Amino acid sequence: MSQLVIENVSKEFGALKVLQSCHLAVEKGQVVTLLGPSGCGKTTLLRSIAGFLQPDDGRILVNGTDISHLPPNRRDVGYVFQNYALFPHLTIRDNIAYGLTIRRRPREEIRRRVDEALSLIALSAFADRFPKQLSGGQQQRVAIARSLVLEPEVLLLDEPFNALDAQLRLSMQIELRKLIDRVGITSIFVTHDQQEAMTLSDRIAIMRGGRIEQLGAPLDIYDRPRTDFVADFIGRANLLPTEVAGGRTRSPQPIATELPDGPATLVARPENIEIVTGDAVGWSGMIGFSTALGPVIEYEIDCGLREPIRAAIPRQAGRAPLEPGTRVTARVRDEAAAVLLPGRGAQGGTAHG
Amino acid sequence: MVDATLMAPRRRRFSLASFLDGGGFWPAVPAVLYLAVFMVAPIVTLLAFGFVTIDRGTVGEGGFTLAHMAGVLSDPLVWRLMWRSFWIAVVSTTLTLVFAYPVAYAYGHLKGIARTLLLVAIISPLLTSALVRTYAWIVVLGGRRGLLNQTLLSLGIVDQPLQLLNTSTAVVIGMTQIHLPFMILPLLAVLSERDRRFEEASLNLGASEVSTFFRVVVPMSMPAIVAGFALVFAVSYTNFIIPQLLGGGNYSTLAVQVYEQTIVVLDWSRGAALATLLLSTCFLFVFAIVALGNCFTRWNEVRR
Repeated sequence: MSQLVIENVSKEFGALKVLQSCHLAVEKGQVVTLLGPSGCGKTTLLRSIAGFLQPDDGRILVNGTDISHLPPNRRDVGYVFQNYALFPHLTIRDNIAYGLTIRRRPREEIRRRVDEALSLIALSAFADRFPKQLSGGQQQRVAIARSLVLEPEVLLLDEPFNALDAQLRLSMQIELRKLIDRVGITSIFVTHDQQEAMTLSDRIAIMRGGRIEQLGAPLDIYDRPRTDFVADFIGRANLLPTEVAGGRTRSPQPIATELPDGPATLVARPENIEIVTGDAVGWSGMIGFSTALGPVIEYEIDCGLREPIRAAIPRQAGRAPLEPGTRVTARVRDEAAAVLLPGRGAQGGTAHG
Repeated sequence: MVDATLMAPRRRRFSLASFLDGGGFWPAVPAVLYLAVFMVAPIVTLLAFGFVTIDRGTVGEGGFTLAHMAGVLSDPLVWRLMWRSFWIAVVSTTLTLVFAYPVAYAYGHLKGIARTLLLVAIISPLLTSALVRTYAWIVVLGGRRGLLNQTLLSLGIVDQPLQLLNTSTAVVIGMTQIHLPFMILPLLAVLSERDRRFEEASLNLGASEVSTFFRVVVPMSMPAIVAGFALVFAVSYTNFIIPQLLGGGNYSTLAVQVYEQTIVVLDWSRGAALATLLLSTCFLFVFAIVALGNCFTRWNEVRR
């Protein structure tokens, strides 16, 4: 049985449908990320699980028990706020002890468990400081410890890395994932940063317009996006409009597919595009803008489509990058790795990071 | 010889150039001049009156004297009145806080027209003078035909009219109502702007709404509570109109004594000596309130 089940949860604010029958089941110890652009409903879903919001419809179950109608203080669910919401008038020790004090645990037990939590986040030396005296990363750890010390069934984290500077983020993400694995707690993250989602998650739920558009393991979603939106949101993708006829696309480079005849979108990652100088089967065009990123060079190839085709080419030592204006042919390197989606999609043809 | 570096602490030297240049100071000049002429000078003059003998509006024989100060300080009546001023101020300020806090808290939970109406209700008493409102309390609390007694008698709640006017109770009631806006406004500023996520965090950690209020909302508004308390205490402690009108002819506080000595008895020197005592003790009490408050708001002062 899944530890956390979200069943058919919907929520409307006036005419705006912020959540439309969302389904999600999370196994014990798993880390799931709700990923999507702002306004996609990911935070609303997280707040519904915590009980800060009452969904209009649907159920939320923890270990098989319906908690949908419990007030937030009677749900066994930890919540880490975007800005951590550490109580400024309490010391770090008292912040972590807050939930235990509320539960009227014996003083000795509170002391022991807070000490354990402090050493878990390696902040024992800061126990008597106030939150203001800590850095953003330290505050984040305190906020997590404050929830974990109560040993909740599920930990919810609302964009916990937003308040940190970019340099710190990646290392904090890895640290946090290690901490979660050590404690073994079921966690749900909310983020709009796909890199963060890839780093942290066992599974990612991509949300758009109040719906979960695709749910799967990070690489699974990356390799097999089900919609052009997902393809574009996880990683970067060239979305090339095409037609399917008789099991093949009618693109300059025909690709085999099982899709029925009709309009389709070809999804090809920039690293799955190769550039051939001279004549070849593929999209012929001209090198436009290029960016040398170090290990790879990214080219924009203008092929007369709505958007240039992007190609990420590993750099070869001793070879100069292609000059802008060079006539080339862009090809899909590995046809099996290209994905074909039926229809032109809402985003037909756009490709951006 | 003493080492020069030890003698000279690292202090910024005063330089005329940086003073003339020092942007931040100049915009304050009109206000500083105004206060110097219309507040500091009169107060210094007033306090100085307490240390000379005034005879028919001019400074009399003898020059500087501590006799008036000594006379005031050795008068047990003065100490009793000061004690009364203090207690009236403490009780009415505490009541003000108790009444003001829920209003300021509720304000943060209201939206739209209800919020605007509440704000109007809070501020509108300030549009009439405190004197008028004090007279209004005479109408409400006064004798058998006062509004309150008429209502209580006609409802059969009491058989005899309550003796409220000309008691400490009347003074406390009047002061509490008249000073209410001064307590509500600083609280409102802090409570209506507060970040609700702290309360959500508290609920999430298992606290009820009630314990969230007392463990998170109230402590976090402590700076505003201290500010409001100090402000209302100061105006209550030094107010002479309310005790005089609602306390009746025989009722006196330290502030009322200042008024009577100066205007009725025309003993300006004693009046000034009493004013000196009133002002300095007021400072002392306010300082004590702020110092006590700092114990609860230490978290607000810390720096990284």
